[in-house]
Amino acid sequence: MVGSKKNLTFRYIIAFALLIVMVFPYLYMVLNSFADWTQVDKKIVPANFTLRSYEWLFSGGEAGIARPWLHAFFNSVIVSTLSTALMMATGAMVAFALAKMEFKGRNFINNAVLFQMFFPAIILLIPTFLIVQNAGLYDTYMAMILPKALSLWAVFMYTNFFRAIPDTFIEAAKLDGASNFQILYKIVLPMSKSITTVVFLFLFMERWTELLWDMIVVRSDSMLTLNVLLSQMFGPYGGYPGPMYAASVLLTVPIIILFLCFSKQFKEGMQFTLK
Amino acid sequence: MMKKNGTGWLFASPYLLYGIIFFAVPLIWSLYLSMTDWNLISPVYNFKGIDNFIEAVKHPGVQAAFFVTFKFMAAFVPMVIVSSTLVALVIHGLPKFKGLFLIGFFLPYLASGVVSSLIVKGLLSQNSALNVFLRGIGIDIDWLSTPLSALLVVAAIIAWKFTGYYALILTAGFESISKDVYEAAAIDGVSSSQRFWKITLPLLYPALFTVLILSIGVSFGIFTEVYQLTGGGPNYATNTWQMEIFKQAFTNLSAGYASAVAIIASIVTFAAILIIRKLLEIWGKRNGWV
Repeated sequence: MVGSKKNLTFRYIIAFALLIVMVFPYLYMVLNSFADWTQVDKKIVPANFTLRSYEWLFSGGEAGIARPWLHAFFNSVIVSTLSTALMMATGAMVAFALAKMEFKGRNFINNAVLFQMFFPAIILLIPTFLIVQNAGLYDTYMAMILPKALSLWAVFMYTNFFRAIPDTFIEAAKLDGASNFQILYKIVLPMSKSITTVVFLFLFMERWTELLWDMIVVRSDSMLTLNVLLSQMFGPYGGYPGPMYAASVLLTVPIIILFLCFSKQFKEGMQFTLK
Repeated sequence: MMKKNGTGWLFASPYLLYGIIFFAVPLIWSLYLSMTDWNLISPVYNFKGIDNFIEAVKHPGVQAAFFVTFKFMAAFVPMVIVSSTLVALVIHGLPKFKGLFLIGFFLPYLASGVVSSLIVKGLLSQNSALNVFLRGIGIDIDWLSTPLSALLVVAAIIAWKFTGYYALILTAGFESISKDVYEAAAIDGVSSSQRFWKITLPLLYPALFTVLILSIGVSFGIFTEVYQLTGGGPNYATNTWQMEIFKQAFTNLSAGYASAVAIIASIVTFAAILIIRKLLEIWGKRNGWV
């Protein structure tokens, strides 16, 4: 086990081989998005390349509204950004109460969060849809944002992290007359950058790739998120595989960029998550 | 003291609102709906008692969902345990390219299930390089229209998705095993198979247990890949709980009946995970791993 040099080289070779197997389908996706339309899904590496798929994607598309794919991309950005921002804010707030404040009923809330977290959520799907519909939110951004304005997982992660922060910091700030909000935003959160990165990346990624919920609460072409549009065009546009690969690239690239930007903090944060 | 309680509740209020609107109310509503024949549209509906539940357990779609979930588990869990252990075994403790490995192996987890399904559909399409090659050596499979291969393809996509994530958990497990233990074992002349069964496995078991529980949980929530690739078919061969509930509620508009199915799904999920978890704990204790 203890690595001699030869052993290490061998492990690197295997590691890169495994890595290539894991990411190969995404390389295939990128190659096919640039492939000549006659060659899509015919060869592993297409022989001729073109930008036609991307032109199709960014110009017409063939749905009810102008530039449906760009429109859907912006819908995804709006929904994912607002929803993630709310989930982070509510997550940190509730976690701060659970980890660092003493009040009657704290244990009850703590247990309720845990209970709900392990409760099979499928049972809530239909009535949640009905609540959104009765509130007049069907086919709006709010229908996609409000039911995903709080993440139990975020509350759980932040609570665990905040508990590890020594109380002395908070006591000191209190003596200086800081309010609880100030303590949270000026002291506790700046100490929690790595976990905040992990929570942000996972929440954003999950929101960005949500299918079932975004599919059932929205009907008009102008409201679809990119993931839902791609899902709906998947079958009917089977004859246009090139643009489907281009749309897949458009859907995947933002997430990769985010993870690359934050990879250092993400690595640190994951260390805590895995403990 | 009163004031202190007040700020505590103020900070916890987002959860209270959320818990009432999106948990307590839907939960009760779901129980009520499950005893009606409401169709999502009609203003009138009838109370049916437990008829929906009786109808549901007799329905082939529900029966399929029950068994398909365990079939997915039987295929997906071993696949993902083997692949993530292999990845973790190879990359743990490697000094260089950590960032590249992290992002690379995480990629399938980050990408949308719609995208992964689309790529796999392309790779398995009639005239794809793979199928042309297979036909060349006399194998001709219509991957997504054959019950067994459709199930295995979906299980493989999900295993592929979670491999990197679980490998990360296992890597942390491997790295927590101190080298001193192996060195001491080497001095005592412990054989390599003994080393695996008596040292590596017991020390890795907590991480392995986490991965097992997580992957079993995943088996009960499969939707995107099935919706995208098979629609639950061919002939219910990949019909998961979520697929069945989605079809009944939003395609057939049988909200009342679908609520009953959702309740059954929740009970089955909850009970199955609880039982499997207990069995794993007993198994771990019996082998002295915990």
